[in-house]
Amino acid sequence: MELQARLNEIFCEVFDDDDINIAPEMTANDVDGWDSLSHVNLIVAIESKFNIRFNQKELLTFKNVGDLLNCIASKI
Amino acid sequence: MAFNSLTYFLFLPLIWIVYQWAPDRLRWLLLLAASLGFYAMLKAPYLLVVLCLAAGVTFTVGLRLGSCSDETGRKRLLWVGVGANLLVLVSLKYLPALFFSFNPSLFIFNGFANFSPITFHALITIGISYYVFQAISYLADIYLEIIEPEPHFGHLFLSLAFFPKLLQGPIERSGDLLPQLKKPYVFDYDMARSGMLLFAWGLFKKVVVADRLALFVNTVYGDVHAYTGLPLILATYFYALQIYFDFSGYTDMALGSARLFNINLTRNFNAPYLATSVADFWRRWHISFSRWILDYIFKPLQMSWRGWGLAGTAVALLVTFLVSGIWHGASWGFVVWGGLHGIYLASSVYYKSWQKKIHKVLGIEKTRLLKVWQTILTFNLVSFAWIFFRANSLADALYVVRHLVEGIGRVRAMLFAHGTTELIVALLMLAVPLLVKTLAVTSKRLDMPFCLPIPLRWAVYCLLVISLSLFSVDSGRAFLYFQF
Repeated sequence: MELQARLNEIFCEVFDDDDINIAPEMTANDVDGWDSLSHVNLIVAIESKFNIRFNQKELLTFKNVGDLLNCIASKI
Repeated sequence: MAFNSLTYFLFLPLIWIVYQWAPDRLRWLLLLAASLGFYAMLKAPYLLVVLCLAAGVTFTVGLRLGSCSDETGRKRLLWVGVGANLLVLVSLKYLPALFFSFNPSLFIFNGFANFSPITFHALITIGISYYVFQAISYLADIYLEIIEPEPHFGHLFLSLAFFPKLLQGPIERSGDLLPQLKKPYVFDYDMARSGMLLFAWGLFKKVVVADRLALFVNTVYGDVHAYTGLPLILATYFYALQIYFDFSGYTDMALGSARLFNINLTRNFNAPYLATSVADFWRRWHISFSRWILDYIFKPLQMSWRGWGLAGTAVALLVTFLVSGIWHGASWGFVVWGGLHGIYLASSVYYKSWQKKIHKVLGIEKTRLLKVWQTILTFNLVSFAWIFFRANSLADALYVVRHLVEGIGRVRAMLFAHGTTELIVALLMLAVPLLVKTLAVTSKRLDMPFCLPIPLRWAVYCLLVISLSLFSVDSGRAFLYFQF
């Protein structure tokens, strides 16, 4: 499955919303309920599903879904 | 010098006039000299050396961070820069107090009262914590590759020491401020006009509203044991309003001063007492500070402890707000204040999802009534925490908490302590900003009063000047946040 589609599934699961359709330019303001608490859940879910580990610097510089996708792509 | 002093009323226009005539290439130098002169007038010249040293270290480390490609080396450089700045903060703000007047039984610092004039203690830290926070944020943003290091020492020094925000913030990000300081200056009538009005409005909030509320607050908090029940509650509510008008008044004056030089500083307040949760309060109160602690303390901690589930976020919130309390000063009162906010936020991590479900089941999810209830509840939670922030000692704060619900007490003595006229003026003056805010919100015109017809607009200007000259309490009273 394509990376974006796999990430989309994780988003739907974490935010409990099947209608989410992620795009690279999407930010926390575009997803209902994407606050600091759900963000950490999202990160933990991504790390576990893709079996990767983000470092602090990466986690503090994600500006949008595109940054997240690029970082995942560089690790798998 | 304070914004509400005569010296500043002369200093600001003088610098502004010289600024109009100065060539662009020298404008940064003029503002830097003005900022250092402004700071030197606090009569603590040794602090200028501290500012220069901290700027020098930050500048050098920033450049080296920018040119270093090895991750371990970059991390080490970041810690050197952050450590040097923290050393400045700790050695000026906490060590002297610890050294001279630490009372282990009460953990209360009495400053230099028995050592040298009290003013020495008050002056020793003015602006330093804001300055250091900005320097740390500059280095962290270079490390995170959000900004490039500034190659011009003068520009960086000015961005840290720019006088309108030097003493009490807002805590600016270099990425926001530096580009504005480098832009060629062209006189902008609208900016200058809105700057002057904002300055006058801030002055009104400070010397007419906040200082008048202080009369009532100080009557009670100066001798809490003489009161029980309602006066304690009223004094606490008055203090919640006083600190808001004092601090947001100062910020308006800072933003207004900066606008005269075409600089837009960060908005620090957004109707904080209309917040519907404590988390929402921190998105609206002292915004530049809460953004700072969120980005540089909470987020790294939360991410480090992400494996702990909800507890990781809760503990990160608790630690962040305890640090925030200690940042305000080394006393138990501030620690408890920060701890209370930490507990409010950490507990919401656990009940938030349940709360949402319950609201959904009850069908009150998006009702106005729920919003009103949440606003009242949040205001009371925040006001309760202010008790520890304002009380002269932890013992006084605990007395207030224990005697809050004990009838109406000596409420007349509190309200009429300064005469009936003072009470009426206080209520009328308090109504002015509330009315202005309501008008701006209901008319959906944020450019108030500039959108008004000329006669009405000038009536507002005249009223502002008249109330400033008639109803000012005491222009010599310091801003509350100076001490931090």
